[in-house]
Amino acid sequence: MSDFCVVRTRGLGKRYGAAWALRDCTLEIPSGTVTALVGSNGAGKTTLLHLITGLGRPTDGSVEVLGRSPRDEAQNVLQDVGFVAQDHPLYRNLSIAETLDLGRRLNPHWDGEYARERVSRLGLDPGHRVGKLSGGQQAQIALTLALAKRPQLLVLDEPVASLDPLARREFLSGVLEAVAEAGVTVILSSHIVSELERVCDHLITLAAGHTQLEGSIEELLACHRILIGPRADAASVARVHNVIRESHTERQTTLLVRANGHVYDTCWQQHEVDLEELVLAYMGYDPGTPLAAAPLEPVAR
Amino acid sequence: MTWVAWRLQRTETLVALLVLALVAVLLVPTGISMANAYHHDGIGSCLSSNPGFACSNKIGAFQSQYQTLNFITNWFTLLPGVLGVLLAAPFILDLEHGTYRLAWTQSITRRRWLLIKLGLAVLAVIAANEALSLLISWWRAPLTQITGRLDSGTYDTTGTVAIGYGLFALGLALALGALWRRSAVSLTVGFVGYFAVRIIDEYWLRGKLVSPLHAVWHGTQVPGYLSSASILSQTVTVNGRVVESNSSSGGVLGAHSQLAAPGSGQHAVFHATYQPASFFWTLQIRETLLFTAVGAAMLLFAAWWTYRRAV
Repeated sequence: MSDFCVVRTRGLGKRYGAAWALRDCTLEIPSGTVTALVGSNGAGKTTLLHLITGLGRPTDGSVEVLGRSPRDEAQNVLQDVGFVAQDHPLYRNLSIAETLDLGRRLNPHWDGEYARERVSRLGLDPGHRVGKLSGGQQAQIALTLALAKRPQLLVLDEPVASLDPLARREFLSGVLEAVAEAGVTVILSSHIVSELERVCDHLITLAAGHTQLEGSIEELLACHRILIGPRADAASVARVHNVIRESHTERQTTLLVRANGHVYDTCWQQHEVDLEELVLAYMGYDPGTPLAAAPLEPVAR
Repeated sequence: MTWVAWRLQRTETLVALLVLALVAVLLVPTGISMANAYHHDGIGSCLSSNPGFACSNKIGAFQSQYQTLNFITNWFTLLPGVLGVLLAAPFILDLEHGTYRLAWTQSITRRRWLLIKLGLAVLAVIAANEALSLLISWWRAPLTQITGRLDSGTYDTTGTVAIGYGLFALGLALALGALWRRSAVSLTVGFVGYFAVRIIDEYWLRGKLVSPLHAVWHGTQVPGYLSSASILSQTVTVNGRVVESNSSSGGVLGAHSQLAAPGSGQHAVFHATYQPASFFWTLQIRETLLFTAVGAAMLLFAAWWTYRRAV
């Protein structure tokens, strides 16, 4: 994929009343990636996604989607962005067929063939009322509506939070298929990390309205380490590496660090980090300085 | 887009049509029988040859026959409120269920969405209330001959005011819905608010819309032109002293007052402020414009608030 960035924000901020929901958020989402946007509840995920889809207007900074402002040039941006809002809202008293008809009438690049084919693959009867479908099926219809627009960017806000594990798996498989078929760029927010590793190749973590981590999952995992060693040495590690999380027992200390180069000290046992550990560590981490800005080289394994 | 907005308003439009159909089921047969009775009893010919209060016996019999129905149809002045509030529902439900986020992230702008959705609601309210007005005007035609067009039962349900009332109720419910995003409470409070404003309108505002005329007469013979007028206030003076006054819009005082009895009535002077039947269209147009303007202002507020604030 090219280096072209589908989404680019600079110093983006959104304030509701006196409270900043998102602040000083600068990030880039390269074309063709599947990015997980992770953070605890209230971290600003939904706010960021609403700014990207033009639902919200930035208080501060700027956001560009496909090189344009999604709010001020909505008529040019919207047709290339597919969005499934939180709880996948749909008009409950329309049938599936009418819902697809709504999509056809409101979108210039509508692919009706694809939409019908996807519905029949899901085993759903187009005459069925949307309100009578299960949560998983409604999510699938909402995804169909977003994908049949033939968007370049697909934005999913907590798409699987309300789904049972099987429906969750099926939904994410649908997203992966679309990525494989059409090369669509995807941003999906979630606070459930376990499923993301299979689907996503990029990660952004948000905490209290700020971005903490941003980059390819592979590189992020490569530059983080779990170190287990004697309790007394923790301070010396912290002088060289960024300690994201530390926990102590009487005899030993466990550190999750963002390693700045090799860890040479042989008294530390080194382990690789998995995505869930990494995200959880950052959710509990309050950096003095934003780490994403610091240039880092991946650690050789 | 228009089709989509129509489809999302279809249920409410059908309910509005159902309301109109129920009204028609009640009014069409009774209206035909009332028109026949009016003709049979010869009330029309009596009224045209004897202006004033001369035909009161015939009229009394006719009116008592249709008293219950007349009483029921007086309450139809609430229907513009029902229709207005009802057609605000699709917009508020969109906010309540979060489906506006679905609509606004298709390939149309929210400006267009608001324009078409609210425009369609306005058209439906105008059409439904116009149909209702025409139906009730036809039904009330014989009664209107007797009571005059300014009788509140006739005035409220005929002419153009019903459209103004409907748009006012629509605007009020939309504004509340934009603020609260809860359909049940917005529609309920909207309707109660409509009712309250209509009461103020009926008992206070309407008398101020056009400056009233004054009538003065002596003795028992009430001037004939007052039979079709709306009386705002009356006083009776004897030798320059006020002995009785009445600020309600009820019947003409002189007709029932003991002061009008032969003997005592000689020195009594009757004063009335009133709006004559010829004010009908001036009042109707002013009241319609006033309610429409306030309704439109609240509708625009709802659109602006949603455009700016909804995320």
